[in-house]
Amino acid sequence: MFYIGPQRSLMKILLATVAAVVLCPSLYSQSPGPSAAESRRVVISQYCAGCHNDQVKSGRLDLAGLDAAHVETAAPQWEKVIRKLRSGMMPPAGMKRPDAATTKAFITSLESALDQAGAAKPNPGRTAVHRLNRAEYKNSLHDLLGVEVDPAAYVPPDDASHGFDNMADVLSLSTTVMEGFARAASKISRLAVGDLEMNPVTETFVLTQGMSQMRHVEGTPFGTRGGIAVEHIFPVDGEYVFKMNFWHASTGGLFGLTTSGEQIEVSVNGERVALLDINPRLTTMEDVRTPPIKVKAGLQNVAAAFIQKAGGMVEDSLAPFKYALSDLTTGTVPGLTGLPHLRSFAISGPENVTGPGDTPSRRKIFVCKPASATEEVPCVRKIISTLARQAFRRPVAEADVRDLLNVYQSARDKGDFEFGITAVVQAIISDPEFIFRFERIPRNLKPGTNYRVTDLELASRLSYFLWSSAPDEQLLHVAVQGKLKDPIILEQQTKRMLADPKSEQLAANFAGQWLYLRNLRDVQPDNYIYTDFDDVLKESMQRETELFFDNIVHEDRNILDLLTADYTFINERLAEHYGIPNIVGSRFRRVPVTDENRKGLLGHASILTLTSLSNRTSPVARGKWVLENIIGTPPPTPPPNVPALMENSENQKRVSVRERMEKHRSVEPCASCHKIMDPIGFALENFDGVGQWRVRDSGFEIDASGTLLDGTPINGPVGLRSALVNNYSEAFIRTFTEKLTTYALGRGLEYFDMPVVRSIQRDASRRSNRFSEFVLGIVKSAPFQMRRVEETANSEARH
Amino acid sequence: MFISKNHLSRRAVLRGLGVTISLPLLDAMVPAQTPLRQTAAAPKTRLACIEIPHGAGGSAIYGHQQHYWSPVKEGSDFEFTLSLKPMEPFRDYLTIISDTDATGADPKTPEEVGADHTRSAAVFMTGAHPKMTEGADYYCGTSIDQIYSQMTGKDTPIPSIEMQVEDPGALVGSCGFRYSCVYKNTISWASPTTPLPMELDPRVVFERLFGDGATAEERSRRRSLDRSILDRITDKAAKLQMNLDAPDRRKVANYLDNIRELERRIQKIEKQNTTDPERELPTAPVGVPDSWDEHVKLMHDLTVLAFQADITRVSSLMMARDVSSRVYPESGVRTPFHSGSHHGEAPEKIEEFARLNRYHVSTVAYLINQLKNTPDGDGNLLDHSLVLYGSPMGNGNIHEHRRVPIILVGHADGKLKGNLHVVCKPGTTHANILLTVMQKLGIEMDSIGDSTGTVAV
Repeated sequence: MFYIGPQRSLMKILLATVAAVVLCPSLYSQSPGPSAAESRRVVISQYCAGCHNDQVKSGRLDLAGLDAAHVETAAPQWEKVIRKLRSGMMPPAGMKRPDAATTKAFITSLESALDQAGAAKPNPGRTAVHRLNRAEYKNSLHDLLGVEVDPAAYVPPDDASHGFDNMADVLSLSTTVMEGFARAASKISRLAVGDLEMNPVTETFVLTQGMSQMRHVEGTPFGTRGGIAVEHIFPVDGEYVFKMNFWHASTGGLFGLTTSGEQIEVSVNGERVALLDINPRLTTMEDVRTPPIKVKAGLQNVAAAFIQKAGGMVEDSLAPFKYALSDLTTGTVPGLTGLPHLRSFAISGPENVTGPGDTPSRRKIFVCKPASATEEVPCVRKIISTLARQAFRRPVAEADVRDLLNVYQSARDKGDFEFGITAVVQAIISDPEFIFRFERIPRNLKPGTNYRVTDLELASRLSYFLWSSAPDEQLLHVAVQGKLKDPIILEQQTKRMLADPKSEQLAANFAGQWLYLRNLRDVQPDNYIYTDFDDVLKESMQRETELFFDNIVHEDRNILDLLTADYTFINERLAEHYGIPNIVGSRFRRVPVTDENRKGLLGHASILTLTSLSNRTSPVARGKWVLENIIGTPPPTPPPNVPALMENSENQKRVSVRERMEKHRSVEPCASCHKIMDPIGFALENFDGVGQWRVRDSGFEIDASGTLLDGTPINGPVGLRSALVNNYSEAFIRTFTEKLTTYALGRGLEYFDMPVVRSIQRDASRRSNRFSEFVLGIVKSAPFQMRRVEETANSEARH
Repeated sequence: MFISKNHLSRRAVLRGLGVTISLPLLDAMVPAQTPLRQTAAAPKTRLACIEIPHGAGGSAIYGHQQHYWSPVKEGSDFEFTLSLKPMEPFRDYLTIISDTDATGADPKTPEEVGADHTRSAAVFMTGAHPKMTEGADYYCGTSIDQIYSQMTGKDTPIPSIEMQVEDPGALVGSCGFRYSCVYKNTISWASPTTPLPMELDPRVVFERLFGDGATAEERSRRRSLDRSILDRITDKAAKLQMNLDAPDRRKVANYLDNIRELERRIQKIEKQNTTDPERELPTAPVGVPDSWDEHVKLMHDLTVLAFQADITRVSSLMMARDVSSRVYPESGVRTPFHSGSHHGEAPEKIEEFARLNRYHVSTVAYLINQLKNTPDGDGNLLDHSLVLYGSPMGNGNIHEHRRVPIILVGHADGKLKGNLHVVCKPGTTHANILLTVMQKLGIEMDSIGDSTGTVAV
C-alpha cells in the first residue's frame, strides 16, 4: 500500500515516479513464465548446486533449495548471486563454468525478475535522522552567516561507514560532539555579530615541515616566495599584530642563516602593510612581528611571504631537494642555498577597537536596525524570521518567532540590542532543527507503509546531496509552494544546483571519499627514497583530481571520461613531477594529456601515491583500489597470519617488488585472491610510489604484463585502461551508481535498492552516461523521494 | 568539636594571572557534623604528569658519579643534589626513584636505532614501544593519566586536561626517522590508537575549565545564556520527538541525554565558581605568553585552579618537545636545550646541563608550592595529589634511556609517605613506576607496557 498524502494530485506524480524508476519495457516484454524459471533451474543445478546445496552449503548458501520460479522470495540471496556472477568470481576457478552467453542470460533473467518484483512492491527504505557532519555544518554556517568555520576546532572527526562520512546511522551524538556544537555556537555567534568587548586573542597558523617555501604560494602577492595566505575573519575594526616564527635547525640556527638580507612581507588583500627584515641570527625563541596594524572587520585575505630576491638556478655543492626542509641542517651549512622558511603565522588582536565594521555576517544578520524603541521588537522579529527560515530550512511559524523572541528578551535584560541578537544567533545555530535534518512521520501510518517525504524535506535531501549545505532561498521557495515534487521543476532545480559553484562539494566530499583522496593527508612517502616529495606536491596531487572530477560534473561529461580523459589540471609543481614542460606558477590550469599512460584517473599521481606504501609501490593496494572503486568487487579480507612481503635490506641482493610478490602469491591461500588483484597492480608498476614514471625497480626492468582474471592479457597502464573500458565499463558505471546513490541517500544500500540502482544505470546509459543523468535518476527515485515506516515502530508509537 | 574542618582563610594567589581568587570549596558545603569521608571534602586524589625531554646531566656516567640528579644516600636521609635542589622545601612530599630505564624507548631493530627523539615521549606514560610508522596506523599504549581519567573523569566536569608549552605539533605527518609526528607531539594516549592533542594556549585551557569570557562577570553572563539555550534545546527536542518514528525517537532521546549531561557540567562549574561570595574569578589569559617561564607557570596555575575547584583531577603537561633548541634565560645557562644534552661527555658541559635541569625542576617546584599552599578538605592539595615528573631519556648525549630521571611528589591521600629515595636494581623498567602510580591511585592492574612489577615506595 502507498500512502497517498492529502492531495489527489500526489498520486499521479508518485506513480509516474515509480514507473519511471523501475519499469523498463525492453526487459519486460517477455514475462518470466515457467520457461524462464526452468532455464534458471538448469543453470543452477549444472553450475552452482554442486557446492551450494543443503549438504555442503558453501558460503552458507543453499541455491538448490531456493525457489527459482519466485526469486523475489529470496531477493537478498539472489542479489548476492548476481554480484558474484557479474564480478566473475563464481563459479570459482577450476570448476566448470557456463559460457559467457549463458552467464549473461542467467544474470539478465534474475535481474529482470527481481526488478519486476521490486516495481510491484517498492521499498524505499528509511534514512535515520541525520546530524550534520563536519563539512555540512561548515557549509550551512557559511551560507547562513557568511562565516568561515573550522569544524575541526570544535568537534571530533565524523565516523564513516559504507565509505562515506555522511551516513545518518553512524553520525555520533556523543556529549563531546554536542559540547563542540554548543561551544561553536557561542563563539560563532559573537564572531558573526562582532563583539566589541571581545578580549584580544591569538590565532596561530602552523606550516608543516613538508611545506617547501622556495617558490610562489597561491594567494600570496606576486614577486614573493613561500609563506602563507590565509582567509581570516577579523571580528571587528581594530588593530592587529602579525607574528612570524621561522624554521630552525635542531642545533638552534635559523634555517637559511647563510643567506642575508631576507625580508618578509605582510599583506592584507594584496596590499603590503609591513616589510620586515629577517636577522640571520634569529633564535628559536624570537619572532618577527609587525607593529599594530589597523584592519577592517570581516573576511580578509592575509599573507606573509618572503620577497623573492633571486630567480633561476643556484650553484650549490649539492643539488637541493624540492623538499627544502627534508634535512634542517642544510639551511645552516655554507655552500647549500637554504632560504628562511616560515614556521608559524599568528594574528593577535583586536586592540583599540573602533567599531563592529561592515562585515558580510552583519549584513546577513542585521536586515534592519531599530531607530527607536518602538521599532525594536518588529526589527528583532524580522531578523529572527529571516535567519530561522534559512537555518531551519522551512517557513517560520509565529510560535518559532515568539520562542526566539523570548531568548532575545532574556538576553536584552542583561545587555543591549546587539547582545540580544547574539543570543538569538547562538540559539538558532544550537537548535536541533539546525544541527539535525529531521524527517517527520505522518500520523496514523501502519508499519511498512511507504510515504512521500514533504517537499521541504526533499529540498534538504537535494541540497545536502549536491551542495553539502542547506537549500538556498530559491529552492526553499519552490518547496514551500509545493512544486518541488513536480518532476519538471525538480529537474530544473537539480540542473541549476549542479551548475552552481557550490556543487564542487561533490568533488571534495563524494569523490574525495569514493576515490580515497582524503587518505592522501596521512600519506608520507619515505623521504630517503622520494627525496623531492613534500606537502606542496601532496596538496597539488589532491587538487588535480578534485578539479578533474569537478570538471566532469560541470561539463556534464560521460563518467567513463574519468577513466579515459585526455586532459587534466596541473600547476608548476605537478608539471615537474609529471615531466610536462612550460607550466609556470602555482595556479592550476587545464592541460591536454598527450602521454597515453597518463590518461584518466589511473594516471593521476594522487591515486598512485595513496595506493603505495611509504617505501615502495604496492601492486596489491593498487589492484584492490581498482577492484573496489572501479569494478566494484572488493576482494575478501586476507586470512590471518599472512607472512609479510620480504623487504629489501642492505647487504642483500635487491629484488624487485614484482619478484617478491610472485614469491608470495605462488602459494595458497594467497594465490586465489592475488591473481585477481596483482595483475592490475603489475600493469601500473611503471609508476613509482609517488606516481612518477620509471622503467626500472630496484635495478630490474619493469615487467608490467599480466593476465586479468577474465583471461585478458594486459601490459602497462594503456593495456589496463583499455581492458577496463572494453570489458568492465558496465561494472564501473554500476559501481559509480552504487557509490553515488549511497552518498545521496546517506545510508548503505540494501538488496531492495538494487532494482532502483539498475534502473538509474540503464536510464543514464541511454543518455551517454552523463553525470547529471545519474544525479537525476537518483533524485527521482523512490528511495530519494520516499520513506518507509519502520516495521517495529507501531508498538512504541502509541506512547 | 569540628574545628579541624573549619578552614577560615583560604585564599590563594594566582600569580601568573595576577589576580586574587578564593577557594571554591565552601565551608558551607561541608555539613558540620558529617564524617569527612562522606562529604564533598572526601579526598579525591589528583594526578599531574609532567614530561621533559632530553634526560638529565645526572644520567651521564660522569654526572651519575657526581650525583647531579640521584642522591648518594638511599632511604629517608638523602641529600639534595644539584638538579633536585629546588625540591628541598618539599622533602616530606618527595619520592625519588633512581636507576630505572625507559626500556620501551630503546630501539628494538637496527632500523630503529637513532630515532630516540621521535619515539621517547610516547613511552613516558605508556611504557609501551611505539610502532615504527609514518602513516595513520600508529600504535603505542594507553597512558596512565588516561587510565586514571577513565576511572575518575565522570565525577568531574572535565575528565582530564592535556597541555604543552611549546609549538603545537600536528598529530599527522612524519617527524623524521620514519616515525609519525604523533609520537613526538603528545604524551597522553586514550588508547593505543588514540593520541590526544596537547593544548598550547592557556586561554583555551582556561575556557575549557571556567567558560568563555574575559571577565568573571562576562563569563557568568555567558554561562547563564548557555544554560538557557540548552534548556530551550531540551524543550524543543522533546516536542520534535513526537513527530518522529521510533528509531529516530530513540536517537533524539540519546541526544537529549547528552544535552542534559552538558547542562549538568555547566551547573557544576557554575556552582563551583560562584557560590562563594568572596570569590573573584581570574581574568582570562590573552593567549600564549612570550616567555617560557611565564607560560609554564601559567599552565601550572591553571592545573592548580582546576584541581582546587575539582573541575578535573587529571592533568598532563609536556614542558618541551624533543630536539627543542630553546634557550632558557632564567636558567643562567646559554646553551640551547638540545645542544646542551649532547654534552659530548665533557664534565663541564654535563655540569652545565645539570644546572639547566635544575631550572626545569624549579618550575615544577613552583607547582608543588602552589599545591601545598592550597587548602583542600582536611589538608592541602599536595596531600591529595600525586605529581609525576621526569624524562624518558637518560643520557641524552648518546640517546640512551638508562637511569632516567623520575620523581614523585605529593602524598596521594596518604598512599605515598614521601621523604624517600629508592634505588632500583639496574635494568628495572620505568614502567614499574607507572604501575606503582596506578596501584597507589587505586587502579587494579597487573602490568602496563613492559612492566615487571612495582617499586616499594
